[in-house]
Amino acid sequence: MSAKDTFIKPLVSENPVTLHVLGICSALAITNSLTSSLIMSVSLTSVLVITNIAISLIRKHLPSSVRLIVQITIIASAVAVIDQVLTAYLPDAAKTLSVYVALIVTNCIVLGRAEACAMKCGVGTSILDALGNGLGYSIILIVVSVIRELFGNGSLMGYKILELVQDGGLYQPNAMLMLPPSAFFIIGFLVWVIRSWKPEQNENADFKPTPLPDREKR
Amino acid sequence: MTNDSPVKAFLVVLLTAVICSSLVSAAVVILRPIQLNNQMLDRSRNIIKLTGLVEKGVTPSDEEMLELYRGMDVKVVDIDRAAFTDELDPLSFDQRRAVNNAELGIAIPSDLDAASLGRRSRFATVYMVLEDGELDRLILPVRGTGMWSMMYGYVALESDLNTIAAATFYEQNETPGLGDQIMRPDWQAQWKGRRVYDEAGDFRFAVNHGKVEPGSSTWLYEVDALTGATVTADAVTAMMQYWFGPHGYRYFLEELRDQNGRVN
Repeated sequence: MSAKDTFIKPLVSENPVTLHVLGICSALAITNSLTSSLIMSVSLTSVLVITNIAISLIRKHLPSSVRLIVQITIIASAVAVIDQVLTAYLPDAAKTLSVYVALIVTNCIVLGRAEACAMKCGVGTSILDALGNGLGYSIILIVVSVIRELFGNGSLMGYKILELVQDGGLYQPNAMLMLPPSAFFIIGFLVWVIRSWKPEQNENADFKPTPLPDREKR
Repeated sequence: MTNDSPVKAFLVVLLTAVICSSLVSAAVVILRPIQLNNQMLDRSRNIIKLTGLVEKGVTPSDEEMLELYRGMDVKVVDIDRAAFTDELDPLSFDQRRAVNNAELGIAIPSDLDAASLGRRSRFATVYMVLEDGELDRLILPVRGTGMWSMMYGYVALESDLNTIAAATFYEQNETPGLGDQIMRPDWQAQWKGRRVYDEAGDFRFAVNHGKVEPGSSTWLYEVDALTGATVTADAVTAMMQYWFGPHGYRYFLEELRDQNGRVN
């Protein structure tokens, strides 16, 4: 795969959220505000880049028996450092994101990229791959959070865009959008849109329906 | 050495562990002072918000806030003796650390432990806003066990030591989007004017399971539910029940009321 493809493909055609359905937990939990989404996107992308570089550098010296342990140790350390940096420099954001920063450790995108790319490719390709996947995740988070915050709360990044009824305006916010299930609907909708545009993403059916027995055919 | 050798596996794991742990420790040590400063600013911001000294919607700068904070009357209360104490310096006393200290902390009898705390500090740092020497607002620290985490907050009482003037939570790790609605300013604003005790002096405050209609019988004592966060909401009620109950500030408040809010 060319360098350009490594970076471009994870944005839409091989998007980690909509194609691989990874990283859903945080995509549901923190997308009720654009600010949290942006901070989460930057945090995840940084963790991805750091771990991909580290793992790619030592990939030739990683015995396969302890491969996963070492990968997870590196990921967990990167997440711990990012968490500390956030609580120091962005305390308010760190508060709203609470456990979800620490939970980046369990975000399958990170381990997935470590296994799928960093273990096999050089540092340059790994960085591009990390940036591409981080950005692919960010795009979904941003789209979902813009829809949720704008129509659920009438604001974007905390700035009022639509004047709410309760403040004397005309817009009645959709409270469901503030709750996590709405992110499921929006991501589902995005998956549908992307797969209609790129039908090659459709998976084969797991089961074929059994044909009806003869006597029930009229 | 080949990658298959167990010695190499051991070495790689050891090296990774050493390098990673030093990096994490370094980050913690280097960033600690900044984080402590943030916590301090955050706590004073929360207390200042409750004093009524700053107008609503105005955000004072960090310096202004620290000045207001230093200008407040801060005292340490001996909760079990229901009186102020001079034994401890209110500015250096760390109530959280005192909880698990053998001398400064105390175990809570299980039948009184509504908020599932286990232990509490024997002392509490309270903040007072005085007007012409008379107590205008009393700010008490409270904490309770929520669904996932310890919730820390303050409750400000008006001079009758019963009406809530304001309340805030400044630290919690409840479910984002559900339980963490206790941080929502519009929800916290509802606490204003609610009463802790009824006319007979019994504890009455609660977080309702629905919406509290203005003028209803519960209007004086209850605030609206938090949508989808019954456990956290009930934990808030339990927290208030404990801290304003006999093992909490109740006797101290009665004592203070008898002295007509004279604090010296």
